[in-house]
Amino acid sequence: MTVYRFDGSFEGFLCAVDYCLDIGDTQPEFIRDGDVQAVGLFAGEVREVATLRECALTLRKRFVEAASQEAFATARYAFHSHKTGIELLLWRYLTLGLQVGRRLCLMLAEEPVHSVNRIARQVSHEAHKYKGFVRFREVEAGFLYAQIEPEADILPFIAPHFVGRVGDRPWMIHDLRRNQAALYDLTSWRLIRDVELSAEPALSATEHDYAALWQRYFQRHAIAERHNPKLQQQHVPLRYRKHLTEFIIP
Amino acid sequence: MITLPLEQRLEILADSAKYDVSCSSSGSSRAGKAGALGNTTSSGICHTWTADGRCISLLKILLTNACIFDCAYCLNRRSNDITRAAMTPDEVVDLTMNFYRRNYIEGLFLSTGVIRTADYTMEQLIAVAQRLREVERFNGYIHLKLVPGADPLLIAQAGRYADRVSINIELPSRQSLALLAPDKPRESVINPMRQVSDLLAEAREARTQSRRAPRFAPAGQSTQLIVGATPESDRDIITLTEGLYHKLELKRVYYSAYIPGSVDSRLPALPTPPLLREHRLYQADWLLRFYGFAASELLDAAHPNLDMRFDPKSDWALRHLELFPVEVNRVDYEVLLRVPGIGVRSAQRIVQARRGTRLGEAELKKLGVVLKRAKYFLTAGGRYLGGIRLDGPRLMERMLAPARRPAHLDQLELFATMPDASALTGEL
Ligand code: SF4
Repeated sequence: MTVYRFDGSFEGFLCAVDYCLDIGDTQPEFIRDGDVQAVGLFAGEVREVATLRECALTLRKRFVEAASQEAFATARYAFHSHKTGIELLLWRYLTLGLQVGRRLCLMLAEEPVHSVNRIARQVSHEAHKYKGFVRFREVEAGFLYAQIEPEADILPFIAPHFVGRVGDRPWMIHDLRRNQAALYDLTSWRLIRDVELSAEPALSATEHDYAALWQRYFQRHAIAERHNPKLQQQHVPLRYRKHLTEFIIP
Repeated sequence: MITLPLEQRLEILADSAKYDVSCSSSGSSRAGKAGALGNTTSSGICHTWTADGRCISLLKILLTNACIFDCAYCLNRRSNDITRAAMTPDEVVDLTMNFYRRNYIEGLFLSTGVIRTADYTMEQLIAVAQRLREVERFNGYIHLKLVPGADPLLIAQAGRYADRVSINIELPSRQSLALLAPDKPRESVINPMRQVSDLLAEAREARTQSRRAPRFAPAGQSTQLIVGATPESDRDIITLTEGLYHKLELKRVYYSAYIPGSVDSRLPALPTPPLLREHRLYQADWLLRFYGFAASELLDAAHPNLDMRFDPKSDWALRHLELFPVEVNRVDYEVLLRVPGIGVRSAQRIVQARRGTRLGEAELKKLGVVLKRAKYFLTAGGRYLGGIRLDGPRLMERMLAPARRPAHLDQLELFATMPDASALTGEL
């Protein structure tokens, strides 16, 4: 049995899958580069797969033509869940799609389609929530900076949204769990890895004022006669609140 | 009025605006512009939820809470002894831009009390929207309130800057309006709605000719009805709602449980706001918009109010047991939608999945279809999913069984059973 090591990115994974299809390996295992936990787990030979954009794009084209655009998007969402075992599940999903074609999306109640769909939904749901939950703070010189700690690796899904939205300032959304960030420089965004803060960034002169106004507004907006903290918690679970300005007690 | 510090005025004006429940930022889809602030997404985005469990999507404030009118149900009525405050258009613009940039909000929902005249007031609101769009190049969501009685030209202008406009009917009947809002004849509310509906149609028509034709309130119009302040039945309310959707093409009708805020003898003294009734009305509203029900199917003269024990779809199905059970592998999508417990998403998944495989109970569960109520109304591959076939009264008893809780309802669960919790959060 051979273990294929890729760089951890979705493109890298597609390249690994493409490679296995090429050489006809039907029982592959996959590990991400730097995934120390997984290393001792596999007994087989480890083979490095290089990430080549071309080759990822070729596989994408092939899969989209066979199955559908939507099925590919589903696979991409599911991959970014970073759940243990997701690579193998997606290997089965992608190869099945290449075999059965358009019928893939009708196999809703069967494996692996069912699990992949479920995981993809979780990730897209979290990404959608974060479109609302990102909180920028203005640091010196008009730069906007936000910290998040999402379950899944959602930066690739939310960054394009913020490019379209906050186009008049440079900004950074920092995923503290993965030490990576989406950085926008007024033209485009890119992902940077291994971001570490040496210190909390210094805030602009007015940042505190606007945050305080927002906190007051938020407090006041609740209607006492309808008080329902349980419902609130259902929508804003406690784990999100650490980075939400309105929940931070001044 | 502008002498108080900004944070105090913000509190006062947010306080006065919060009973207007239309919070949605949906219905408009506009890409961002290079170098500018803002875009809109058609499903809307919630940014946070307040301690009452309501979503915050827009900065919802009044320009001023001073008002020359005296509507009995309203906090801002002339005769109410409260602190009055106002913001300048510049202050509102600055708050909107800065809140938006920090991703606190999707945009602005601006309303106001009536000052001097309806036209003057409307002009103030328009000034804010115009400044945001033309000076700040703000491209996010704007919802503007229309002032009852404002000039048609001003209404046309408001729709050029706003994504959505709204004017609240508040009271479901002419009599109630005359009694409680003597300054606002029904025409002063309905006429602008008609006008907006015509302008929307015109703009749509013009855009089929040319993509460059000016937009008019691309997210349409909405309105709000207060529930429980006046004696109208649910049938009156839902029939009115149906007319608003069909004849005036409203995007949303919102319901607001009346919260006693006045000792006016014309108003009922309710111990608590009728939240459950409000919830049932939202469910019925949902059935009108997405499930193909007509108001007359849900409510009639013999049955003028929604059953508080069941959601309106279960209630309807229990009165039409002759139509059930239906075969999940065969019936039309429209019929599936009428099965209690099956929502739009479940029905879509069923229709899609059954093209690939034959569905049994296990497959339905895998699709995420909740069978708790649905099973009494379905067969799968000929097998009835509800166990022993029950007659009406016993089925009703069975369906009520889990709901036999202490008289005061657990609110969390109450809202969790909504066909889609986003009814309150603003998704279309
Ligand atoms: S006109 Fe509007 S703000 Fe004034 S009292 Fe009536 S409802 Fe309230």
